[in-house]
Amino acid sequence: MYLTKEEERLYDGEYGWANQTCMKILVRLGELFNASKLIPIESAHISGVSYKTLGDAPVEFLQALANADGKAKVKATLNPQSFDPDYFSKKLPEHICKKQLNILEQFEKMGCIMSLTCTPYNIEKPRQGSHLAWAESSAVVHANSVLGAWTNRQGGPSALASAIIGKTPDYGMHRAENRQPNILVDVETALKNEAEFGALGIFLGKILGDNIPLIQGLRDVSDEKLKQLGAALATTGMTNMFHHNTRLKRKEMEKVSVEAKDLEKTVESLSTTLNAKPDLVFVGCPHCSINEIREIARLVDCEKVKAETEFWVCTSRYIKEKAKEEIKKIEKWGGHVLADMCTIVSWTEMLGINTIMTNSAKTAYYAPTLNKAETIFAPLKHCLKTISEG
Amino acid sequence: MQQITLKGRTIVEGLCTAKTLVSATPLSFLGGVDPTNGKIIEKNHNLYGKTIKNKVLCFPHGHGSTVGSYILYSLARKNLAPKAIINQTADPVVVVGAIIAEIPMIDQIDIKKIKTGDIIEVDAYNGVVRILNRTKS
Repeated sequence: MYLTKEEERLYDGEYGWANQTCMKILVRLGELFNASKLIPIESAHISGVSYKTLGDAPVEFLQALANADGKAKVKATLNPQSFDPDYFSKKLPEHICKKQLNILEQFEKMGCIMSLTCTPYNIEKPRQGSHLAWAESSAVVHANSVLGAWTNRQGGPSALASAIIGKTPDYGMHRAENRQPNILVDVETALKNEAEFGALGIFLGKILGDNIPLIQGLRDVSDEKLKQLGAALATTGMTNMFHHNTRLKRKEMEKVSVEAKDLEKTVESLSTTLNAKPDLVFVGCPHCSINEIREIARLVDCEKVKAETEFWVCTSRYIKEKAKEEIKKIEKWGGHVLADMCTIVSWTEMLGINTIMTNSAKTAYYAPTLNKAETIFAPLKHCLKTISEG
Repeated sequence: MQQITLKGRTIVEGLCTAKTLVSATPLSFLGGVDPTNGKIIEKNHNLYGKTIKNKVLCFPHGHGSTVGSYILYSLARKNLAPKAIINQTADPVVVVGAIIAEIPMIDQIDIKKIKTGDIIEVDAYNGVVRILNRTKS
């Protein structure tokens, strides 16, 4: 791999241990995937923030980097943590809160932005054609497929290394020739709602390997529905990008058809129980956009009595600040609009939550193992109806 | 009589001689290795209950969460890490882990040729593994 004189000095340790370690990570990964050089990135997005998924071990490395003056050179945003401090601080044991806080402190020392969201693009969109080093698979697929930015699917440590060096190796999705579709997907049934877009992603992720699909036949598309599709695609598969509804068909491609029965089966598989009464109804995986918050506020009827079921809407603190009126309405209805956190990496089982109803295919897929919960998978309107009917 | 020598690719430089622990199946460090004692705790794994401390740990490749890289660092800080890592095909999780934990590592080695309990010399400056307790005639 070609390194500039300056990069060689970083690699040799002339700028300290933190820079040297990060440089080694990027160079060795680059060599592993046949990169030719390092390229500047516009931003990094770092996963591995929740104490629940990290445990105690990683803190030592984060502390070492922070104490050795590891500092982000580019905009570096963070994935969600394990709870919303405003809502959970009295519900969780103090030692858990402290350990989570300690992790955040290390990232803050390194100059990371406390975005604590899986949708950093809802705070500021990356420029089209810009190179990124993003972890968080749902954001990676969304950036490549919907926003037109270029990023590989990084892991937590390599995204952090890229933040500190400000560069990433130029392999994979950073090369135009690797971004072309190589399999045609014909969706032969009309997708009725955001949940079905998610189910399509779960279905395709399992059969596509790391191929890039050109998906045809999607109707009534929105960025939010594509977010559900991408998040689910990355949940079950290695695909980092999809194309959709474009007529450009440059070469003969293998073709896959998705029929109504494929989708029905997938939707069914995402519910693990026939029990119609969830302990928690959860929307906001990935984090709600301002449009989704507005939609929920429009659908909840203030005349209805306060619901018995716990209702969580997860979003970023940034969006929460922007949608105060809508959030007031949702909370008056009995919902909790939570920021900074992700339900699947939070401590739901400690709160006695055994059955989760959600419109997110990604959450429905992970909750049985990560939250030890039964799942009911249904579109937003159905979720809200369940709450109001109790 | 000739010593058995295997040639691979250096991932992290270093030199050591130690006993091997060989896994026929991939290994996840998150959830697969106990960071407090260095024992393999992945259910149904053929090395379940064995400690990786001070061994030359040989396995095809890693799998699972990228948090696994941090686990290797934590093991090294507690002197519970393997002395070296030999992989068939290096994957990003283990590579990053070996770099930050400063564990010598070589990949592109046919690990089927190595048996648990072999004494081997790992020359991760030159990407060479020598099995010291066995010779081929």
